[in-house]
Amino acid sequence: MKRLQICLTVALFAMTAASSAATIEMTVNGLVCAFCAQGIEKKLKKLPATAEVVVNLEHRLVAVSLKDGQDISDSDLRKALADSGYTVKAIARTETPIADVRERLKETMP
Amino acid sequence: MLRSFLGACVAVAIAAPATAKPIAYADGTTVMAEYGAGTMQELQIFYAPRFDYSVGGGHVDFTSDEDGRTAHITYARLNWLAHRWNLDTAQANVFVWGGAGSASGNSFGGSALTGNAGTQADYETRRVYASFKTDLQRSSEFSDRVDTLQLGLAPYKHDYGGLATWFVFQARHYTDNLHSGIETAALLRLFKGGAWLEAGVTNGGKLQAMAMFNF
Repeated sequence: MKRLQICLTVALFAMTAASSAATIEMTVNGLVCAFCAQGIEKKLKKLPATAEVVVNLEHRLVAVSLKDGQDISDSDLRKALADSGYTVKAIARTETPIADVRERLKETMP
Repeated sequence: MLRSFLGACVAVAIAAPATAKPIAYADGTTVMAEYGAGTMQELQIFYAPRFDYSVGGGHVDFTSDEDGRTAHITYARLNWLAHRWNLDTAQANVFVWGGAGSASGNSFGGSALTGNAGTQADYETRRVYASFKTDLQRSSEFSDRVDTLQLGLAPYKHDYGGLATWFVFQARHYTDNLHSGIETAALLRLFKGGAWLEAGVTNGGKLQAMAMFNF
């Protein structure tokens, strides 16, 4: 019985982890200056599920890493960006750690 | 009468906003200080509860380069982002603002209530920048307008966390006798993170400089 409980707990944890993305990547219009990035970063860091934020002007990219077991809905992300004065064009959820996203951006810098 | 009018013109010019945008970002505070070619020294502070408006005020000291008259204005102001276009690789904005203040100076007695209204339109990519601003000032003693055009070119595309460099050409026109002709200036603008520094020289050989901090 105890073994079954452990198996169920592990399975539930694995399902939860699989259902939430490690990183959310957003393509954003109007992202042309450091002050834009600063405002977006400040806004997203206030969301309780946010672990880290990366903003890249070259790729018009805003990436958010999530705290374990937490998520931010697309509508909340769009609202956060709209409240910052910017327009979200696309949202992609990946399992890529944000450190890898940062490295990828460095490698593709012009 | 002429003295009052000239003094009013001086007061009007002092209230001209700095060249930067009057709203940085939501929940952001902007502090700006400008040294305007020996004719204007200004300190402003604005807080933006949202991305589309900010409130605050400032203080300016002004000395006319025509006749040495001075004015000192303390004012409160509301800035509003009337419209923003977020394009793929560019952003364009239209700002409007209005406010009220109190002016004193060496060309009129006591203090004068001042009011102002203005607008700014700008377009920016990571390599080019253009801005046109007009600022109208009125009181019982004066009515005047200041127009400022800025064109900027970045030698490279900066990214967040890096140093941004801009070469900026500025042309400013004052109505009436505040300044003779159009004042032009060549400026070097640097910013990184929340700090912005800008300095250059006018066609009259005078220093034009500004510092701005967003946090």
